[in-house]
Amino acid sequence: MCWPGGTSSARPTCIQIFPIKEKSQGSEVFATTEFGQYLLNGISQGCVYILLASGLTLVFGILNVPNFAQGHLYMVGAYIGFYMVMSFGMNYWLALVLATLALGIFGQIIYSLVFYPMRKAPEVNLFVAAMALLMILEGIALYFFGTSTKWFIIPYTRRVITFAGLALPLQRLIVILGTLMVMMALQWFIKKTAIGAALEATAQHREGAMLCGIKVSWISAMAFIIGTGLAGIAGMLIGPAVLLEPTMGMGPLLVAFSAIIFGGLGSIGGAVLGAFVFGLVESLASGYVSAKYSLTFVFGIMILMLLFRPKGLLGREVWRP
Amino acid sequence: MEALKTAYSSKVVAWLLVLILAIVIPPIAGGYLTSMLILISIWTIMCFSMNLIYGYTGQLSLGHAAFLGIGAYAFGLITVKLHFGFWPAFFIAIAITGLLAFLIGIPALKLRGPYFILVTLGFAVIVGVIVLGWIDLTGGANGLAGIPRPNPIPLPWGTKLRFDSLLSMYYFILFFLVLIGIFSSRLVHSLVGKTFIAISYDENLTESLGINTMSNKLLSFTMSAMFAGIAGVLYASYNIVISPDVTHFARGMDVVAYLIVGGAGTMAGPIIGTFVLMAIPEVLQIMPYLKTLINGLILMLFIIFLPNGIIGWFNTILGRLLKSGRVVNGPA
Repeated sequence: MCWPGGTSSARPTCIQIFPIKEKSQGSEVFATTEFGQYLLNGISQGCVYILLASGLTLVFGILNVPNFAQGHLYMVGAYIGFYMVMSFGMNYWLALVLATLALGIFGQIIYSLVFYPMRKAPEVNLFVAAMALLMILEGIALYFFGTSTKWFIIPYTRRVITFAGLALPLQRLIVILGTLMVMMALQWFIKKTAIGAALEATAQHREGAMLCGIKVSWISAMAFIIGTGLAGIAGMLIGPAVLLEPTMGMGPLLVAFSAIIFGGLGSIGGAVLGAFVFGLVESLASGYVSAKYSLTFVFGIMILMLLFRPKGLLGREVWRP
Repeated sequence: MEALKTAYSSKVVAWLLVLILAIVIPPIAGGYLTSMLILISIWTIMCFSMNLIYGYTGQLSLGHAAFLGIGAYAFGLITVKLHFGFWPAFFIAIAITGLLAFLIGIPALKLRGPYFILVTLGFAVIVGVIVLGWIDLTGGANGLAGIPRPNPIPLPWGTKLRFDSLLSMYYFILFFLVLIGIFSSRLVHSLVGKTFIAISYDENLTESLGINTMSNKLLSFTMSAMFAGIAGVLYASYNIVISPDVTHFARGMDVVAYLIVGGAGTMAGPIIGTFVLMAIPEVLQIMPYLKTLINGLILMLFIIFLPNGIIGWFNTILGRLLKSGRVVNGPA
């Protein structure tokens, strides 16, 4: 998945999926093993999209903003982790917690500076604000982090686990397990806590939630903070498995967007399903057709989905202004 | 009534002054400034294109970089690979852009709000991926080279209007900019344009008046894409080489920034916005990678504090001074 340049003059980004075994490797690679490897790649890539898409859909459900900056927040999270681990020699897990907290605080700042003052503005203005945020974050990243790619190296996670002819780097396993844990925690938070219930109520009916005494502006800030926090976790988990670049967030962001449209905007279950499907689609398409055009399949499926079932697989209703 | 007449004539005078300045300055200014003005003119055409679909019809499209790229690549391929002349290639390229916009518009314009934005963004990404990936046709990341400048136009008194120099290319592009500006202005003041504006205010209400909003949106989208196609053709012809970077969706976002800073839904907005956002980094000699940051910050400040842009704000101030109930966001 490569991009022809960044928002301005940035270098093309390549999202490095760990090496897929070449078909030309000969007779010892059987078709089933190959398929299994693509499936595994798809699952681990799908987890990346799940983390981004769940944050996107949460923010969309509450604020009605497709947060274009989510991918760049993920990039910022990865860079913060990079500097904490590589420059200050911090423990990876401690850095993960700190990066998530930092992104959460950053989310609060963004919300109170941008989205709170704009709460009465027309929705189109909110999209534009999210787009401006994307440009600002990319500019900041280009200025402070530089255009050169960075390797986020944690020695023990570079080991590759092989099992039944399938190969998986340890960091990818951490991504999969981490995503599982984060999603379970998020599910628990939304379903079992009072704040989660308030979040869900606000997403379902804003005015109704207000009438029930829920402080909607506070809940909106909460949703935004959780969204940015999820982006931070995603950046920290995936950072060591890919190359860090200021434009690294754009590709996953677009796939995550397609995923939430596929699954249904505003539904977390739909986001997870869509992200999973698109991880597999991307992996299988790049394996069997061409890595260059894998994104075309993703967007093609999204556009077809919008044409025939605009509310998505698990969506509640079609968004109307 | 008298006040209105003087206001109108002063507006016409102001436009003529701007035009005269645009004609007179480049010969004095020298090569660097002229090449800068050429790029500004091309992006102003893009901005007029965005103004038609977003400013007047109210449908935010992030896919216009794709139409710029389609226009540029269609023109480049027709001239380089099929060896067509400039003018046939020009019209074919714009027709192709319009046709593709029409075909994409049919499904995409059925959707509203974030869905429409995301479909146009997805379309831009697909076009970018195809342009980069189809190396046999487009040359991939190396780009497409050898695109011709416009053919000389024979004049009745024997001489020919040639387009070899930078200055002549500038006037060529300025001609199209003025043409598109006048066309936009006439369109907006016509019944069709008024329908577009009605759609931007309230689509359901417009539909309830018995207006077919879908076909109007489709018309606006197609025309807007054709403007973008013209910008693409002019860019390809001016630059001689095109690379996949022109189709990158970030270019579409930049255009939205120019339009909003200038003032969406105004005639002067695209010109002011493009000029301000493209000239400031040049004047201040800002590093290229800081442009994104500056554009983003300016766009953010405008969308929070002055969502109607420079011209919208100016109109509000003017309205307050004249104490008239002028519609701020209407056609200026």
